[in-house]
Amino acid sequence: MAIRAKAQSKSSLAVQTPRTTGLREFFERHFSRLVPLPAAVTMALLIIFPLAFNVYMSLHSWFVSSTTPPHFVGIKNFVEIFGKDARFWNAVWITVKFTAIGVFLQLGLGLAIALYLHRDFRGRGIVRTVMLLPMVSTPVAVALIWVVMFNPSLGVLNYFLSLLGFKPLVWLGHPRTVLPSLILMDIWKWTPFMVLIIHAGLQSLPFTPFEAARIDGASRWQLFRFITLPLLRPTIAVALIFRTMDSLKTFDTIYVMTEGGPNNASEILNIYVFQTGFKYFHMGYASALAVILVVFVFAVNLFLIRLRERSWSY
Amino acid sequence: MKRRTVCVGMVAVLVLIGSLVVPAFTWAQKFDWQMHKGTSIRVMANKNASGEAIQALVPDFEKLTGIKVQYETFTEDQYRQKVLLELAAGTGGVDAIQTATAQEGLKFWRSGWYEPLDDYLKNPRLTDPNFDLSDISKPSLMGNTYDGKLVALPTTQQTTMLYYRKDLFEKYKIKVPQTLAEMEEAAKKLHNTEDSGQKIMGIVLRGKKAAATSQWAPYLLSMGGSWLTKDGKPAMNSPEAVQAFDLYGRLLRNYGPPGAVNYHWYECVSLFVQGKAAMYTDVSNRIFYFEDPAKSQIVGKVGYALFPAGSAGRKPTMEVWSVAVASKSKKKEAAYLFVQWAASKENILKMHLKGAPSVRAFAWKDPKFLADQKHKDWIEASLKSLDIASTEWNPPVVAVSEVRDVVGAVIVSSILGENVKAEADKANAEMAKIMEKTEGK
Repeated sequence: MAIRAKAQSKSSLAVQTPRTTGLREFFERHFSRLVPLPAAVTMALLIIFPLAFNVYMSLHSWFVSSTTPPHFVGIKNFVEIFGKDARFWNAVWITVKFTAIGVFLQLGLGLAIALYLHRDFRGRGIVRTVMLLPMVSTPVAVALIWVVMFNPSLGVLNYFLSLLGFKPLVWLGHPRTVLPSLILMDIWKWTPFMVLIIHAGLQSLPFTPFEAARIDGASRWQLFRFITLPLLRPTIAVALIFRTMDSLKTFDTIYVMTEGGPNNASEILNIYVFQTGFKYFHMGYASALAVILVVFVFAVNLFLIRLRERSWSY
Repeated sequence: MKRRTVCVGMVAVLVLIGSLVVPAFTWAQKFDWQMHKGTSIRVMANKNASGEAIQALVPDFEKLTGIKVQYETFTEDQYRQKVLLELAAGTGGVDAIQTATAQEGLKFWRSGWYEPLDDYLKNPRLTDPNFDLSDISKPSLMGNTYDGKLVALPTTQQTTMLYYRKDLFEKYKIKVPQTLAEMEEAAKKLHNTEDSGQKIMGIVLRGKKAAATSQWAPYLLSMGGSWLTKDGKPAMNSPEAVQAFDLYGRLLRNYGPPGAVNYHWYECVSLFVQGKAAMYTDVSNRIFYFEDPAKSQIVGKVGYALFPAGSAGRKPTMEVWSVAVASKSKKKEAAYLFVQWAASKENILKMHLKGAPSVRAFAWKDPKFLADQKHKDWIEASLKSLDIASTEWNPPVVAVSEVRDVVGAVIVSSILGENVKAEADKANAEMAKIMEKTEGK
């Protein structure tokens, strides 16, 4: 009886639940898929479609001008890029140098500054805020100011050098000095980013290992080398991945400062892609270059992420 | 009697009809600015002196013709991209464009994007009888002619001339250079002298790759070189071209600013207006910077001279900005009215008075202009250039920007003191490759 009543009440409950309109039910059932739909569509339109179209274009030859429309050439663009294009290999080499040296120095400096800031002292808040200014300022505006500072005749950097008794440099004005100058500017701009992340990492480190080590009589260097650094590894890896990704596809500052000159001495891949596409209007070829750049950035980061997962996590 | 009245009546009717028809016929042939009243056109232009001067006067055109103009200006790089993509799309979305034929002419002409204007100019219904093509600088018209067809009407020009510091030249008793050799001599003498407490550089020129090529062009032409050989092959490693590369680089290396390879015109002007350089060759409207007391410390100290002669005589270059009708436009006549108006005497004079130098000689002699412009040597050099200048400040190829980069690289190498001949050979081969790729028939 009781069971029956229960069953009855259950069935009546089912009957009571109103058969809602199809739409509502549909929404109810697919809620988790419907909510992100607008975002997914936007993504597809803004990211996946252009990327796919870019790959499609990279298999074509299209010089925007004559009456010849784009025509399919298969992998000819890629064959030419890898086989014959000295300018491409130059750009790859410069991109690698710019990123490797720049990011490495930023990491070193960033680590040092973060450790320095990881103490209590008066005005720490102000120092931390001021530190971030280069990072948050507009890249193009910053680049223009650096151009003026770098100017060998009118700029302030040579003035400082002369005060210190050094000979003036031509900075951006010579193939040999242009890349170090750009790296200098990049360090100024992006070291704060490293500081920010590493500093946050430092603050989240657990206390206990340090205490234990101190009780065991570890020196400060040993503390840093065997406790802080290993514990910081995941943080450092994240900072490295972000910066490397960013640095590999730098465009704005270098374009404003040198346009890749003098004579391609600072032409990183992204600038070469831009010149080929929007200055020379070889759209197919530029698309092929862009595909290579994307794959390159992707591969490097995949490598870093793997590295982080395998050996740098704890 | 009756028949006679009929005859007279018929004659009268005929005369009547005739008197109606004939004027109507001639009226149809007569030019009328208002013929396309009520329509609207889209014009794309560069945000330079010329493009902005036209923009300011567009309301005049709208009042004159009753045509509504959607006039869009972009900064130079953007303008090049947008116009190109718009024309390549071929949808007729743009009716008239501002154009520098030396930059994009060959490409646009071969692509069939320019509407040839000869038939329009000959048509009395479409062209104002006061238009006077003969007053427009001959070289500028020649520069706008492809396969015998005029594709654009010139409006403004800038000619490359020599700027020199009158005060320094007087102080050191140096004559105004008439030849490139004299110019180098003067640069040598003046380099590292002092003036009001600062060191002077002998000369400043553009050194930045592609940007330098347009101002290197008069050196090339004056020294007897050319962009292409007679049969249309690259001539960047001819002895004359190598000499021109060499001289240009030598001037900057020995008597120019350090880091000159990064000098676009902006850096050159900055240096010059600070009184740090004795000479400078660049396009003529730099005068507006030199003589502006807010920007310049050398107001009144600058002399203006025709570009010095080389072994092939005086060959200054002239950058001409023109207006053209887009061939895919659906309102070609209205667009032609705009183009014609922009290049008309009246409009060009107005632009000229606003600081966009005219391609028509008469504007340079206008009393109002002469009353305003105190620098007679500037006027003289400009006027002379209108007749003798070459419009080939760019290589006459389809892929201008790409070739400019290649040629510019030789200029940079020369400034850096590298082997010019080897670099020129390399550039020539590369230029040939680019031409084959983009012009190959």
